[in-house]
Amino acid sequence: MLRKLIDESAAKSPWIYHINAGSCNGCDIELVSVLTPRYDAERCGFKLTGSPRHADIVVVSGPITVQTRDRVVRTLSQVPEPKVVVALGSCPRSGNVFKGSYSIDGPLDKYCHVDVSVAGCTPKPEAIIAGLAKAAEILKEKRKEMH
Amino acid sequence: MEVKNPVPFLKDALKQLFEKPVTESFPAGDPPKAAPEYRGRIVYHPDLCINCGTCLRVCAPQAMTRTMEPVEGGDRVTFTFDMTSCTFCRLCSDFCSRKAIELTDDYMIVGTKHEDFLVSGTFIKMKPVKKPAPDAAAAKPAPAKPAAEGTPAASPAPEKK
Repeated sequence: MLRKLIDESAAKSPWIYHINAGSCNGCDIELVSVLTPRYDAERCGFKLTGSPRHADIVVVSGPITVQTRDRVVRTLSQVPEPKVVVALGSCPRSGNVFKGSYSIDGPLDKYCHVDVSVAGCTPKPEAIIAGLAKAAEILKEKRKEMH
Repeated sequence: MEVKNPVPFLKDALKQLFEKPVTESFPAGDPPKAAPEYRGRIVYHPDLCINCGTCLRVCAPQAMTRTMEPVEGGDRVTFTFDMTSCTFCRLCSDFCSRKAIELTDDYMIVGTKHEDFLVSGTFIKMKPVKKPAPDAAAAKPAPAKPAAEGTPAASPAPEKK
């Protein structure tokens, strides 16, 4: 019963951790604007955490550069299961205009399973909210599967 | 100093009590409409395309791929646009002389699989019909004709000087 209570309350507050894997800052700004009063994703329970160990949803922006590759892998391994990885913008999925560069070692699905992608360069905050809502749904299912 | 208002910000507090909230009601209601000229989801009209390939040349992230397989009398051309690779710069649409590529104002491009982001279209481009043999014989004197015309056309130019 306690487990059920924890699951139900945890489903209502999926915490986000944001990794910048060499992003141009466009997607990062839009993600921050999602948490500001105008779009206010915190009313849906999304909260930006400072530590990957507290996170349920990991939002990755940017093509994976050679410099950030090891750090992304290390950070993702610190996120407790169940976790949902969201690719923000076109870059983590494909590399976008940076693809083929000597300093890019993407895409992200080379290193982990990407659950939700939000395409756009950059995506609108509403699209990010929709992506996060989808990620929260997937997280709920994953948590159900665990027990 | 004289205090004019005993309760500070009372007017603002009362005003904001009855105001519409600043926060957008999006996850509850419909998503708001994008700004005019917004560049969102790609729509491809294969029936308008003439396979000139200009979009492939102007695309910086090489978001589209073209596959051509020969069929009888022409080629079956397939264009696939990968929206996870797109910068949404709309150069392909701007350079398209037949308006076959369109970037709509739909910005909700959210998906879980890679196939959710692919926009594809196929059409068959017919090869030009070959003219019958008598025309080929008639075409032989044709190249000589412009050369003959070329000399009189060139001569008036010095006269003008």
